[in-house]
Amino acid sequence: MLAEPGTPYARLALAGLLGLAAAAATIGLLAGSGYVVGRAALRPGLNAIVGILAAVEVLAFLRGPLRYEERLVGHDAALRALARWRVWLYDCLTPRVPAALAGWRSGDLLGRAIDDVDALQDLYLRTLLPVAIAVGACAIGTAAVGFILPWAALGLGIPLVVALVVPAALTWRRRGDEEMAALSGTLTAQVVDALQGAPELLAFGADDAALRDVEALGRRSDMLEQHHARLAALAALVIAGCLAVALAVVLALGVDAVHGHHLGQVMVAVLPLTVLATFEMVPGVPPAVARSLAVRASADRLFALEDVEVPVHDPARPARLGPGVPEVSFEDVSVRYGPGLPRAVDGVSLSLPPGGRVAVTGSSGAGKSSLVTALLRFWPLESGTLSLGGVDVELLAPHDARAACALADQRAQMFAGTVRSNLLLARPDAGEEEVARALRAARLDAWVAALPAGLDTPVGEDGVALSGGERRRLAVARALLAPGPVVILDEPTSGLDLQLADELLQGVLAAAGDRSVLVITHRAAETERCDVTVALEAGRVVLPQA
Amino acid sequence: MSAPPPRPSRPRLVDPELAARVPGLRRVAVVSLTVGALSAVLVVVQAVALAHVVSRSLLQHAPLGAVVPAIVVVGLAVLARAALHGAGDLSAHGAAARVVARLRGQLLRHALTLGPAWLAGERPGELSLTATRGLRSLHTYFARYLPQAAAAAVIPAVLLVWVATQDWLSFAVAIALVIAVPLTMVYFGREATRRSERQWRRLGSLAGRFLQLIDGLPTLRAFVREAQGRREVAAATEGVRTATMRTLRVAFLSALAMDMIAGFGVGFVAMVLGLRLLWGELSLQTAMAVLLVAPEIFIPLRRAGAEFHASTEGQAAAARVLEVLGTPMPSGTAPDGSGPPVPARPAVGTLAMDAVRVEYEHRGRPALVSFSLQVDPGARVALTGPSGSGKSTVLSTLLRFVEPDAGTLSIGGRTSAEQTAAEWRSHFSWLPQRPHLFNATMADNLRLGAPDAPDDDLLAVLGAVGLSELMANLAGGLQTPLGHDGLTLSSGERQRVALARALLCPAPILLLDEPTASLDPPTVTRLAPALEPWLGGRTVVVAAHEPVLLPRFDTVVALPGAAAVPLAVSP
Repeated sequence: MLAEPGTPYARLALAGLLGLAAAAATIGLLAGSGYVVGRAALRPGLNAIVGILAAVEVLAFLRGPLRYEERLVGHDAALRALARWRVWLYDCLTPRVPAALAGWRSGDLLGRAIDDVDALQDLYLRTLLPVAIAVGACAIGTAAVGFILPWAALGLGIPLVVALVVPAALTWRRRGDEEMAALSGTLTAQVVDALQGAPELLAFGADDAALRDVEALGRRSDMLEQHHARLAALAALVIAGCLAVALAVVLALGVDAVHGHHLGQVMVAVLPLTVLATFEMVPGVPPAVARSLAVRASADRLFALEDVEVPVHDPARPARLGPGVPEVSFEDVSVRYGPGLPRAVDGVSLSLPPGGRVAVTGSSGAGKSSLVTALLRFWPLESGTLSLGGVDVELLAPHDARAACALADQRAQMFAGTVRSNLLLARPDAGEEEVARALRAARLDAWVAALPAGLDTPVGEDGVALSGGERRRLAVARALLAPGPVVILDEPTSGLDLQLADELLQGVLAAAGDRSVLVITHRAAETERCDVTVALEAGRVVLPQA
Repeated sequence: MSAPPPRPSRPRLVDPELAARVPGLRRVAVVSLTVGALSAVLVVVQAVALAHVVSRSLLQHAPLGAVVPAIVVVGLAVLARAALHGAGDLSAHGAAARVVARLRGQLLRHALTLGPAWLAGERPGELSLTATRGLRSLHTYFARYLPQAAAAAVIPAVLLVWVATQDWLSFAVAIALVIAVPLTMVYFGREATRRSERQWRRLGSLAGRFLQLIDGLPTLRAFVREAQGRREVAAATEGVRTATMRTLRVAFLSALAMDMIAGFGVGFVAMVLGLRLLWGELSLQTAMAVLLVAPEIFIPLRRAGAEFHASTEGQAAAARVLEVLGTPMPSGTAPDGSGPPVPARPAVGTLAMDAVRVEYEHRGRPALVSFSLQVDPGARVALTGPSGSGKSTVLSTLLRFVEPDAGTLSIGGRTSAEQTAAEWRSHFSWLPQRPHLFNATMADNLRLGAPDAPDDDLLAVLGAVGLSELMANLAGGLQTPLGHDGLTLSSGERQRVALARALLCPAPILLLDEPTASLDPPTVTRLAPALEPWLGGRTVVVAAHEPVLLPRFDTVVALPGAAAVPLAVSP
């Protein structure tokens, strides 16, 4: 996945080259300065140093802009890659939500997947680029030293290799990153839990114990952090040791060569500055390796997401759904979400004839919503037959089955945008009159009229905040607007007072017209407005008795 | 990418107010300054020794043997600097961990002591964000920014003083460039802030858009609009990229300025040194040493600049923590929660509220006016009344979540003022209107008020509230995690778990707020006889629209509706 086509390689290479050029400029700047000072000490006259002096000033000027461009190009490449990965995540989630990832949702694992995708951009910016540039800079510096005094290249090269490899290996093999990430998540959850449950903690005198738990988590996290800090200090010490050795060896070789007249004496001023400049990028390597550990963990978690099996596949040659309102027929349908789990739906048979009104009741967990999940083809049947207009849904393309339905459920999401854009999600080409009719049926006409910009009022963060009841009624209006001939309302009236609930249901049933309506509810009064009521308990039909 | 723009603030090492109130901050600053000063001295030692070697070799072709001691000094100086920095970093890390752990504890303790009434007034999530992410950035501030900032304050100063003693012209060049650092930083910083604030707002909403599309995928699928969502994801992330790049182009300018200043610092000093050597005004030994020191003047400045945003974030977090800690405690609470030990068996006696008046801030009229209530041990009292009549306020007052503005509370003749909040609360067990279940196992949730209750009791009380069937379906039994706020349970089940928790707690007075709100009538009817053995001879106060749950009450106290409460008279 990390090497997917479309990764902005060209931009990354450009960023790497720019970074390398900046590093080379640093080495040239310091080495050139050493040359200027060393040469000038022999007092050869201004002409002898003016050329190199000019070169030094040019390098001094260049370094900044080169780094600036490197940063910009690198960030641009990382953001382009991020855009691809976000779409990848969206594509990866699409066939799996909601049913296949039901467990993920509960632990906010989806939120973490989003963070993980964001973390992947560090792969280039904070891992690959710094390491590549550091290694390249080391090669340039070593080559420069070798050009001046061949043996000294070994004196610099060997400590450089040690300085690059040993701290990186120490960091790569360090433990505790995963535990630390988990701890930080747990700590946050515990703090949120303690603050939300503060009344209970205080009333039951359990506050001290809760705080002790938080403290213990914090202590463990601090311990791991200290461990990592010690490793980082050790890595820095190893690098400094290598620098000390390289500096001493190269200097000694240079002094010896000058003494033996194998080397121009000015070079003894150039060599140590080249060594110092070459080492400048090395300390950035261990943090980059540490960062790569986090990136690897993120990538692993994302791969796990891809491993979740897609529950429903398209049939090879999908059948076509005829026009008109299809009959929905469940025949001895069972649904099971996992091998060890009880059946969520257990041998249910029910029929929703064209234009029919069917109510499904039952306590939560009775399997009402699972009927919808099966009908919308979010999860396959374990056994039995579910047909739409006489066609087995397993022969239909899943999106055809969904297009036949118009759903308003408890989790119906409203998106950033206006009231209108949220309604039009269901039918982009709906006319003004159709929208007004749907709003009237959902008893939202007065509410919309009172909004500052009517239908064009933004909702959510930068607009009107929706109450739970408004959100639910907006979802109902949206379902009525949708072209699907089978309207499914999952608890449309919960949270509304009795009178409004009754008005709403009445309006909705009238507005549905020829279409079929399936109402999931726990209110007895609402079942009376339907032709048939089916009561579920533990996934089975208990009423009407077979 | 999501960091807020750095706000322009006067760059200073440590906010004096912060230093005065956060223990350990001064110590970190002092250690960091000392490390910086010693490190600067080592830079000079290293430079002088290296210059000595170069000078002897270049001018005199000295044999290796003659300069070995100086070479050894160079190596040792390099190592000593690294060791010094390592020690300084570790000490800063340790101090950061200690300070943050302490502040976290104090913050949570203080928030809990301030109690539910105060917490309810806080923006949801904001406080926990301060206690987690805020304190994290404070850790970064202590462990990373502070040492860097101290190094940036002391190392250039020491090195400049030394350069001044060696060559005044190099000193003049270097000091001019160093002075340019804060000037350019302030200029670019302001420019970046001015030009990027709108961008960041836009960025935030684009990032939120992606989250929302992912979250709303089930809805998009239900309406067969996956393709539209995909296009919007692509558009939103492309928008993020262009907006971010526009911002970064400006944001990186200060780093560009810093890099160029550092580059010219070396380039110009090299030119000055070269010319002065040519003119014979300087020795090679001196020139080489100054040249080696010159880049070291700018390195700490560059690093501190890179960590600058850590400073603003960390200081903002610290200010927020201090603000919470500065909120005065309600009267009668032990500040650190360490009051006298809470008795294992609280006294039983008549519970009395006498002429209690409760007024909430920002509300026009008092919630309770001269309310009196007397409940004998073992009595069963129903508090009834329409919503807003003050039923929950009575219970909150009894639990001392709300301090009455007038009147007294007492149990068995001992007033609440004579007892710590913890001691007072040990008399009560409570079922709140909207119970919170903790992200822990079923057993842990039930044992909240009865830490030593055996498993058998847990199962028995779950049976009494009609949850035996649920338990039979839980794979992990009592050890099943309930998820965040009991996510895995329905609202009716949650309420019954909370009722079981309240029953299990052995306190002598049971306060039940709307105990039947999420239960259907047949369940309630079945519940009543099963609860009886758990109520025993305990005092029970049930707050609800009408007397519910128990078949009979000794007293029914009807709270008047909102309209009947006299309006507050303004002076």
